[in-house]
Amino acid sequence: MNITRKALHRRSFLRGMGAAVGLPFLDAMVPAMALARAARPPLRMAFAYVPNGIIMDQWNPAHEGRLGELPRILKTMEPHRDDILMLGNLTHNTGRALLDGAGDHGRCSGSYLTGIQVKKTTVDIRAGVSCDQIVARHVADQTRFPSLEVGMEDARQAGDCDSGYSCAYTNNLAWKSETQPLPPILNPRALFERLFGNGVILSPETQARQADYRRSILDFVGEDTRKLEATLGPTDRRKLDEYLSSIREVERQIERAEKTNAQIDPHMEKPYGVPADFAEHFTLMSDMITIAFQADLTRVVTFMMTREGTSRPYRELGISDGHHPCTHHQNKPELIEKVTQINTYHATQMAGWVAKLKSIREGDRRLLDNMMLVYGAGLSDGNRHLHEDLPTMVIGNARGTIKTGRRIVYRRETPMCNLHLAMMERMGVHMEHFGDATGQLTFADLA
Amino acid sequence: MPFPGEAKPPVGIVFDSDLGNGVDAALALALLYGLEGKGEARLVSNSTTRSNLNSAAFADVLARFYAGPPPAAGARGFEREMPPIGMAETGSLSGDTAVLDAVLEKKTADGLPAYPRGVHKLNDTADPAVLIRNALTAQYDANCVVVLAGPATDLAQLMDLEGALDLIKRKVKVLVMAAGSYPDGPVDFRVKADGAAAKRLLAQWPTPIVAVGTEVGDGLPFPGSSIEKDFDWAPSHPIVDAYLASEPMPYDAAAPSMAAVLYAVRPDGYFKLSAPGTIGVLEDGRTSFTPAADGRHRYLVIDPGQKEKVLRTYAELASAKPVPRQFGRRPNQNKNDEPPPPEPAKKP
Repeated sequence: MNITRKALHRRSFLRGMGAAVGLPFLDAMVPAMALARAARPPLRMAFAYVPNGIIMDQWNPAHEGRLGELPRILKTMEPHRDDILMLGNLTHNTGRALLDGAGDHGRCSGSYLTGIQVKKTTVDIRAGVSCDQIVARHVADQTRFPSLEVGMEDARQAGDCDSGYSCAYTNNLAWKSETQPLPPILNPRALFERLFGNGVILSPETQARQADYRRSILDFVGEDTRKLEATLGPTDRRKLDEYLSSIREVERQIERAEKTNAQIDPHMEKPYGVPADFAEHFTLMSDMITIAFQADLTRVVTFMMTREGTSRPYRELGISDGHHPCTHHQNKPELIEKVTQINTYHATQMAGWVAKLKSIREGDRRLLDNMMLVYGAGLSDGNRHLHEDLPTMVIGNARGTIKTGRRIVYRRETPMCNLHLAMMERMGVHMEHFGDATGQLTFADLA
Repeated sequence: MPFPGEAKPPVGIVFDSDLGNGVDAALALALLYGLEGKGEARLVSNSTTRSNLNSAAFADVLARFYAGPPPAAGARGFEREMPPIGMAETGSLSGDTAVLDAVLEKKTADGLPAYPRGVHKLNDTADPAVLIRNALTAQYDANCVVVLAGPATDLAQLMDLEGALDLIKRKVKVLVMAAGSYPDGPVDFRVKADGAAAKRLLAQWPTPIVAVGTEVGDGLPFPGSSIEKDFDWAPSHPIVDAYLASEPMPYDAAAPSMAAVLYAVRPDGYFKLSAPGTIGVLEDGRTSFTPAADGRHRYLVIDPGQKEKVLRTYAELASAKPVPRQFGRRPNQNKNDEPPPPEPAKKP
């Protein structure tokens, strides 16, 4: 890194021994003369997806307009209600059967970001370019990674995962082309290596051999760090310290997960190094996404918490039944209760992530203020496989262009793709048409 | 594509009307629900060009009425879901009418609304163009008929949606529009209310069009005597209330929209068709018809020999009792879609 008295370049890296650590947005990156010109951190777009629908009467607030008390599933989001915008009546018509019969899970995730009625097949898959990838192409030359695809369960790309729909549809959100899904990274170590390594993903055996003498990636870039610190003011030094500490903490968590890997529940299929505990895994992955945003390694993320149609049990909650079977509750209260607990658990993880995004300063704003993070699902009622009134919230105000703290209920059948158009526009991509959109969603209350 | 062994479903009807503007459109919906109850048609989209929540609410009331009694509280299985109602936001007709007031303000002896409704505010309704577009995407090719019983506002907006013209061409056999007078005649308010939309519709709609003129509606009016005797199985019937409020009894109601629905579902055996030609809209709102061998427009002609049969069919089907839908299984759901049984609990 070439450190001079000139402003630090936004895309500077701390380097050493094959490692490269991006830097967060620092005051030193803004030339003094430009401060008044409002140099801004970048805007980011992310989608966090949960499968199998939601118990909607425990998700939807009772009223439109300003958010007050939130329903049970979103209780832990209450501290963040001024930062969220809840949207009602958004619909993915292309997720519906439309003469293709069963397979709502395969369709709903396949169409979620593509807006396309995916081809019912297990062989010659066909969807469409997803909105995140359209934006990723647009910003590709501005970040190290055009996009990041992150998940926590099952990245199989072949086989029948739902009534004749390929697993490529249920296990991916991002599609680079009509036929090329981008599988999510599930393993924290793999994500870490991707973000900070030289691109080589080590095998578990090699990683194990290296474990005894592995040093922190921060040790590799220590010399660069010291040089940089000497040029920074106290505020930037504190920011840098907090940022590097968060990277170190992620490293420690990964190492801990790898050490305890052998002790996990034998019923759970977990690849090497993946924490057995859902919350721990979520925290690791979301922390790394946060770091990637801080360091401007990427501006586009899709995060599939678990695969669509998953039958994962939640033994963390004492629920040994699979998630998917529970969602076909047929109005049995005990099953509805289990699904509600799972929905609440997911939202609780999100609340923790949002708290972190709010805690990080970027210039005169919070990191969250420079984001649009959509949290939602491709089905509303998982019992009936409904594709209308999809549970959707936008977290973050996209640099003040989205008024949060409210609930807006649009007219019935309003295309979800209208939201995608509006988000792409904010990311600098203007499109007249996308999927079945009829125009950009306006974030204004209906009269 | 139909699955092996699966029959093509009955024709899907897209119904777009000025519901509440007189009783014609309401009678046409009653007829359509009667045909649906016999398994001859499916109402796949229902929208109103009236920019009036009460018009949409009336459509919703009828949908609930003809769906039959709701399932018992706490019943297991799939709940009944009422279909969305489309409502124009910028339609040329907007005011309340005596028909709408009579139905929506009627109360039971306990002071409760006589007819339950699910439309109270704008976001209880859908954009008609989107609603119709989405409905068409779920239909087999050439297995759908669009019935227009009001100004052409919504259909003109449908044609503006990306890809809609191709979709219409694939899915729709024919547009049957109850508007105009043929081969010539007086101004029809349904054309004049949005003349620009009517012109665009007639010029650009990509399927054949069959027009039902006011002369058919006047020549085959719904018999008021039927209202007095055929609907008495229901202690309170929204069609009866609408009919009584529309005009002072006794009267026979002009019913061009009923003819449009009957022709849409049963094209043979009730009416004659004109030779092909082209329908145009004149500056004063009247329609014109120019015969042309390659024309894609025709108009419906009364067959005097079938008049009694038509009127008998109107009365019989419009007054038919609701046939409750099966709510235990969603359409298009097959056995592969059954949820697997819950896993047995394992000891930790």
